[in-house]
Parts: sequence; structure tokens; C-alpha cells
Amino acid sequence: MLKAENLSKRYEGSTALSDLNLEVNPGEIYCLLGANGAGKSTTIRLFLNFIQPSSGRATVDGVDVTKAPLETKKVLAYIPEQVMLYPHLSALENLEYFAALAGHEHYSRKELEAFLLRSGLQADAHAQRVSTYSKGMRQKVGIAIALAKRARALLLDEPTSGLDPEASNEFSGLLQQLRGDGVAILMATHDLFRAKELGSRVGIMRRGLLRAELDPSTLGHADLERIYLDHMHD
Amino acid sequence: MLRAIVRKEVRETVRDGRFRWGAALVGLLLFLSLAAGFAHRKEVERAHASAQAMSWAQWLEQGDKNPHSAAHYGIYVFRPVSSLSFVDRGVDPYMGVSTWLESHYQNPFENRAVQDTPALARFADLTAASTLQLLVPLLILLLAFRSFAGEREQGTLRQLLSVGVNPRRLATGKVLGVGAALAILLVPAAAVGALALLMAGPGGGATGDEGLRYILLLATYLAYFGIFTALAIGVSALASSSRTALALLLCFWIGNGLLAPRIASDVARSQVPLPSSLEFQAGIQADLSQGFDAHPPRELRQQILRDSVLAAHDVADPAELPFNFAGLSLQSGEDFANLVFDRRFGALGRRVEEQLELHRRLGLLAPHLSVRSLSMALTGTDPAHHERYAGAAEEHRRLIQRILNEDIMANSRFGETYIADGSLWARVPEFEYQGPGIRWSLAGQGTAAAGLLVWLLLGAILTRVGATAVARRA
Repeated sequence: MLKAENLSKRYEGSTALSDLNLEVNPGEIYCLLGANGAGKSTTIRLFLNFIQPSSGRATVDGVDVTKAPLETKKVLAYIPEQVMLYPHLSALENLEYFAALAGHEHYSRKELEAFLLRSGLQADAHAQRVSTYSKGMRQKVGIAIALAKRARALLLDEPTSGLDPEASNEFSGLLQQLRGDGVAILMATHDLFRAKELGSRVGIMRRGLLRAELDPSTLGHADLERIYLDHMHD
Repeated sequence: MLRAIVRKEVRETVRDGRFRWGAALVGLLLFLSLAAGFAHRKEVERAHASAQAMSWAQWLEQGDKNPHSAAHYGIYVFRPVSSLSFVDRGVDPYMGVSTWLESHYQNPFENRAVQDTPALARFADLTAASTLQLLVPLLILLLAFRSFAGEREQGTLRQLLSVGVNPRRLATGKVLGVGAALAILLVPAAAVGALALLMAGPGGGATGDEGLRYILLLATYLAYFGIFTALAIGVSALASSSRTALALLLCFWIGNGLLAPRIASDVARSQVPLPSSLEFQAGIQADLSQGFDAHPPRELRQQILRDSVLAAHDVADPAELPFNFAGLSLQSGEDFANLVFDRRFGALGRRVEEQLELHRRLGLLAPHLSVRSLSMALTGTDPAHHERYAGAAEEHRRLIQRILNEDIMANSRFGETYIADGSLWARVPEFEYQGPGIRWSLAGQGTAAAGLLVWLLLGAILTRVGATAVARRA
């Protein structure tokens, strides 16, 4: 579903990403680990066509994102570290707007509420202005947007950083549900624990290079941490 | 999708306290200025009509008198106020409102409203036109400067672009969103204006096409607001931050509304200088006494007239003529003076028109100049309309002189003291002015309309360029 082929991004004098090859299939969660500046966010932004690749290509469902940026985005949903919403609008109004812009203007209020409920947002919060929301609640609206636009691939950029453990756990549960629905998920994270728990595969990045790709089910938490640190320190 | 964008923009705008206060303030000013304009127009129209009626009554009741002294007694006429002047008073306050129709001389218009106004009060002279031309654009800028730049800063722009929205569609939606929010304010104002027009009724110089004028006036201001909206959205998309966008837009607003009119009139004055009032009057006096071109000086003119008339009737003395030579001589003096007035006032009028056309051309630099010109033309308050009224009054003055002089010629004898019967004055028709139709009003406005369209196109291009840039700079 998501595929990077020799994907590279160079800025003047520095390489943000070099020759990345990875593939995320439907029903898979691929976790990208790495320090700040390792190239995780660059990868996600390349898939969103927010930046142009220097070489190689990123495809969504077989379509090059630079060739058909609007069409590929219809398939994607993006949840950054902080889901940005319109503070003067309620969760319901935000969801309605984002869904409409994604081409889904047909939802009734009931359907929109159902998306918010499925994302774990309490019914009494739906009509409140988002300016009063906690970060965890905003992330849930982000998931609801993904559900409403029937995204088949999810791009997550450190979605759980700053969430309390309970909210983070709840969020993981939502991702697992989406995986169960056959969504391909690419998640950049610092959270080794989440990566181990959620990831179908884990990629370790450093200075724009994908250094290792692991199957976390074969590893313990301590193993993953050791391997990660080994790659950071050589 | 467009509808969703517009709905969201309006929702956000209406919930924003800054918009509510700004719109309430501008709305209040707009309604107050319409009300004040309406009351002012009514008052002035009443005053002018009664003053003119009084002068006419005095004319009719001056009793038995020599016609030429009646000609010197004269009539005062007062310019009627156009029905739509409650929207835009144009140059009305700067032009005189009345003139004295007497013999021998085309008098200038007197009693300018600004002469009775202390300099400071001019700033308080609020009209619907100045609210529409200056304050509504300011409100638009305040509404729109954050549209893209603010979304970029708050991060929602990236979120928005990640769902795969076409940025051009987004920009169009934002333009329409600003329009829809403004409509909350402007639609009631337009309705109040229409009501005021109906209540004002066909005022002095009404032409019956006030409805059409009003619709075109709305269209003109709509285009003007469209320019500001498109420019603001475009700049907001291109600027590095919303603060930069606001600064740029405010600079444009100041340049357009405050600097451009000053610069335009300075340029017009230096490029097409007008004679001072003193020079102008001196020129007329010189023409009258010394003649011009092939026309000889006054004494010689009178000599030639006398000689040729005597020769034509084959008599030696004016007293032997079958009519009173004094009447002929007076009318001949009028005819010559009319030549001078046509020549001098005509040249002045052409200079003024050149200045105005220069203003309209400069409208390509600032849309305010274009909208001002169109607004004054549609409301019938621009210099051309004043000129037209002055021309009609002058025609009437000449008619009075001819009637009186012909009476002298026909009904008196040369050298006698002639007292005409008081019924003579009623043979002069009362002065009634018919304002021009809309075609006439708009005849010179091609440049202004083109200026407005060029700016509208510029705004559309800027919005489009901005939208394209937004996609690249998420």
C-alpha cells in the first residue's frame, strides 16, 4: 500500500534521507524508530508530497505521489504529533469540514457522531469547541477524520508523544482496530515500548539511513532497546 | 466542497469576537451615514426648492419696471440634489449650490458647503461612500489577512492539505467565505439603501433610472470589495507570516485610500494646471473689452453694429429705426458676451475634464480612484453633472435676456424711458432642470470601469498564484 523506492531527500549540503526502501502492506503497522533528524518525518512528508523527493519515489497504492498528489492523499490520513484543528469549531464541525474537503460531504450528523464515538471521543464532548480539548482528544478527532475519509493508509508522526499512558494505550488500541480493518500504517515514533507492542515491523533509522528492519514479535523489549542503542552509538 | 469551505469560514469568522466588533462598528457607521445622508439630502432639497421658489415669486412680483433693470434684478436658481446623493455626495460640498441669473454676465456658483464648515469638521463628514470606500475594505483586510497565513501558523493548513483538497478550490472557498461573512453586514445595508431611495422618491433632477443606477452602484462596490478580498487572500497565501500579510495589506490600504487621492490630485494639478479664479475672470473681462481673434474691442464693436444696422435700414439716426435700437444693442452685447463665455468656460471645462480623465487613468494604480469616479457618476454628484447643471442655468439666463431685450426692441422707442407692464415677467418660463439619463452619466467612465476590472483580474491572479504557492509551502 505504501512503498518507498530508493527514496532520497537532499538539502543543500545535507542529506535528510538516502535511498530508503520500505513497504507497508494493508493490515500492517510499520514503526520507524530513530533520534530527531534521523529522517522519519522527512519520509512521512515525502509520502504526503509536502516536499519533493531529490530522487527515488514514494507510491501510495502503486501511484507516485508526485504525479497525482490529490488522488493519493484521498487514500491517506495524516496524524501529526499534534492534530491541528480549528479552535473555534466543535469536534463535530471540524470532522464535518475535513471529511467534506476529503470529498465526503454526504455524512449525516449521526454518521459523523459515530466516527467520533468509534475514535473514543465521549458524546458530550462532540459539540464543544476544540479549543477546550486535551491533546489526547485532538488525536481522537484525527483518527475520526481518518475513519470518515475511509483512509486505507495512515501516516503517523509521533502521535503518542506527550500523551499520558492511559491515553497512549487507548490510542494504540485504536491503531490496532484500524490494522484489523486492513489499513496500512506507517508510524514514526520514539516510543520503543509502543513500537514493540504494535509494530508488525520496526525500522531503525539514523542520519537518513534505514539501518535495520526487525520483526518485533521475535524480540523482547530489552533486545529491541539494545539493538536500537547499538545502532545509535556506532 | 466549496459550500463546506464557505460554511466553515463564515462559522469561524462569526465566532471571532474581532469580526463581531469590527462588523458592528462598520455596520453602525454605514447605517448612520446612510441616515445622515438621507436627512441631509432631504433638508438641502427642501431648502433649495423653497429658496428658488421665493426668488421666482420675487421675480414675478417686481411690478412695472424697465425690462433691463429687471434683467439686472435677476433670478437665483439652486441646484437640485440628486436622489442618490444620500449614498455619495461627491463634489457637492465643494461646488457652489446657487447662481444668480442676471444680464451681461455668467456668474459663478456660490455658497459652497465647505465654506461654512470648519476645517476640522471635514474629518467628521461621514458619508456612506467614504464608509464603503475606506472602512469596509479595512474590515475585509482584517477579516482575510489570516486566512492562509494564520492557518499555516496554527498548523491546520498542513492538516487540511493532507486530506487532498485542491488549494485553488480552497482559495476560492475562502474568497467566497469572506464575501458571505460580509454579506451579513452589507445585504441589510443595501436593503436600507434601497428603502431610502424609495422614500426619497424622484428628487430634483430625477431621471427615472434611479433603480438601475442603484443596482449598478451595488455592482461597482461589489467589484471593489471583491478586489480587496482577492488581494487579501492572495497576500495571505504568499506572505511569510500573518503579521507580514497584515502589514503589507495595511500599506496597500493606506496607499489606495489615503495617498492615491492626494497624489492623483497633485499630479492632475501639475500636469493640467487650471487658471486661478482671478486670472480666469480677468481673461473674460479682457475678451469683453478688447475682443479676441477677429473680434474688435467694445467701442469698435458698438460702432460697427450701429453703422451696419443704420445702413441696412437706410436711415441716418437710430431713432428712425422701426424698432428700439437700445434693445438690439443690448442683445448684441449679450450675444458677444455669450461667445466669450462659451470660449472661456468651454476651455476651462475641457481642462477640468482632462484632469478628471487623468484621475481615472491613475485608477490603474489604485482602485479607490476608479470606484470614486464611478460612484460619483452613478449618484450624479461628479463635476460633469455640476457642469451640466451650470450649462442649463446659463442657457436659461440667455433665454431671459433675449425675451427682455426683444421686448425692449418691440415695445419701446429709442431714447424714451420705457416701463414695461408687470405681466411681462411671467412670459419668462420658470427654470426647471431635468437631470441626465444614466447613459450620459456613464459616458466618460470607461477608464474607471476598466481600472476596476484590471484590479479585479489582478486580485484573481494573485489569489491563484498564492494558492499554488500554498501547496508547495505547507
